[in-house]
Amino acid sequence: MSEEPILHSRRALTLRFDLPVSKTREFWDSLRSGKFVTTRCTKCGNVSFPPQSDCPKCMGSEHEWVDLGPEATLVTCTYASVRPPSFASSDPYTIAIGEFPGGVKVLAWLEGARQDETKPGMKLRVEARVSSEGNPFYVFVRP
Amino acid sequence: MSRVAVVGIGHSKFGRRTDVSIGELAFESIKQAVDDAGVDRKDIRNVIVGNMGGWSQESLPAVVVDEYAGLSGAGTMRVEAACASGSAALKSACDSVASGDGDLALAVGVEKMTEVDTPTAVELIGRAGSYFWEFENFGMTFPAYYALHAVAHMNRFGTTEEDLARVAVKAHHYGAMNPLAQFQKEITLEKALGSQVVAWPLKLFDACPLTDGSAAVVLASEEVAKKLTDTPVWIRAIGSSSDSANLGRRGSYVGLEAAVRAAKAAYSLAKVGPEDIDVATAHDCFTIAELMAYEDLGFCKKGEGAKMIREGQTEIGGRVPVNLDGGLKAKGHPIGATGVSMTVEITKQLRGEAGRHQAPIKKGVGLVHNIGGTGHYAYVTILGRD
Repeated sequence: MSEEPILHSRRALTLRFDLPVSKTREFWDSLRSGKFVTTRCTKCGNVSFPPQSDCPKCMGSEHEWVDLGPEATLVTCTYASVRPPSFASSDPYTIAIGEFPGGVKVLAWLEGARQDETKPGMKLRVEARVSSEGNPFYVFVRP
Repeated sequence: MSRVAVVGIGHSKFGRRTDVSIGELAFESIKQAVDDAGVDRKDIRNVIVGNMGGWSQESLPAVVVDEYAGLSGAGTMRVEAACASGSAALKSACDSVASGDGDLALAVGVEKMTEVDTPTAVELIGRAGSYFWEFENFGMTFPAYYALHAVAHMNRFGTTEEDLARVAVKAHHYGAMNPLAQFQKEITLEKALGSQVVAWPLKLFDACPLTDGSAAVVLASEEVAKKLTDTPVWIRAIGSSSDSANLGRRGSYVGLEAAVRAAKAAYSLAKVGPEDIDVATAHDCFTIAELMAYEDLGFCKKGEGAKMIREGQTEIGGRVPVNLDGGLKAKGHPIGATGVSMTVEITKQLRGEAGRHQAPIKKGVGLVHNIGGTGHYAYVTILGRD
């Protein structure tokens, strides 16, 4: 279809969200000290990742924080050549799903490994990082 | 509960439709559907609009679409189930008629994805999952989500990049016969395999395009359907299911469990099995998704999706022809319109009106497989002549 006449809107909209972390604060604080933790329901024992203060299994709200890391196993991965514009300043990245002992799976970047250097079943280690804006996050690396 | 039939269908040209607003675009298919059904608009009790939005100017697409088409006054809503919003609209409209809330309902699917630039659309689709845990820090993209499945499938079952490319070649083959498709051009295996990698192993030709388009169906109760037409196509069942927002919480990555559950529910409700399906549409937003759909729908055993495409079992003349309208890959994928567009296609097939891409109809049963997100939502609709 040929290009049609268009009016470019004069009203631009920028969205930046405030992200609530009160109920997962322990996770982010632990990450700053290098530990990768998540919630375990003290009523039914269900371990959740992402961490959540209310249990999706039994709906109980009593929980404790348990250490998951640092060793995990690669389940699957991809290499994102095309990235969203809000990641334009990042180099292309490998995205992996890693499985921790006990079966909890986590999606994160796999640093320092191109797609052709990865294989399902390979060992991973989770590590804490801090973004240039000061936000904590986590990545997998090869041990 | 009344049985419900599709009695009118409409479908716009899919593609980059910078010539129309969302109301104008929806009108194209609403007009056809209302004319095809031969109904008076004032008798349509509910108008359900499937639309994901976020990339187009209107925040309240249902009332904008209704106003433009002279449908204001009907009960209306926009429903969202990501790329399955069209099937969600169909289900909601179908349920309204089945429950007795009016004898006629209209399901409209419409999406205008090109009112923003392509990078913005990539950003918005990448956020469709778990924003906080999988996008904010890791910049997921829609191709990346399906690439995680492709890698898992290739690793477990030996599916190859060439198998994936075969799905695209088939889509373009049939898309070339569909005058409403975004791409009406055959492609070669070499061209598909040589295209730019977007998220390894997925390449540009493994991915559906960004598309503007609309589709509409008029639904009627059994009593009214029989008065309106000699060729009603009955909604035998709509099975639906869902899965976690976070991909990390999924059981496996070699199929979509929500699709398996939706298919089981639909087969059970309709009292048919995969062997009874004459023709189907499968949600091929990426080529790997179509291969997983064959397996999730029970068209073949788990892990044998690649074998089906290699053997031509999903072409006309094969065991169950799939995506004879070109699929999302060649026809285009205007998110909220797709489920309704698939319903239009299967209705045409069952009426025997599909022209050059008509499948042989033996048992009179067709299937629509429509997935939202990466198996976040799943709808399987079974349509029948009886």
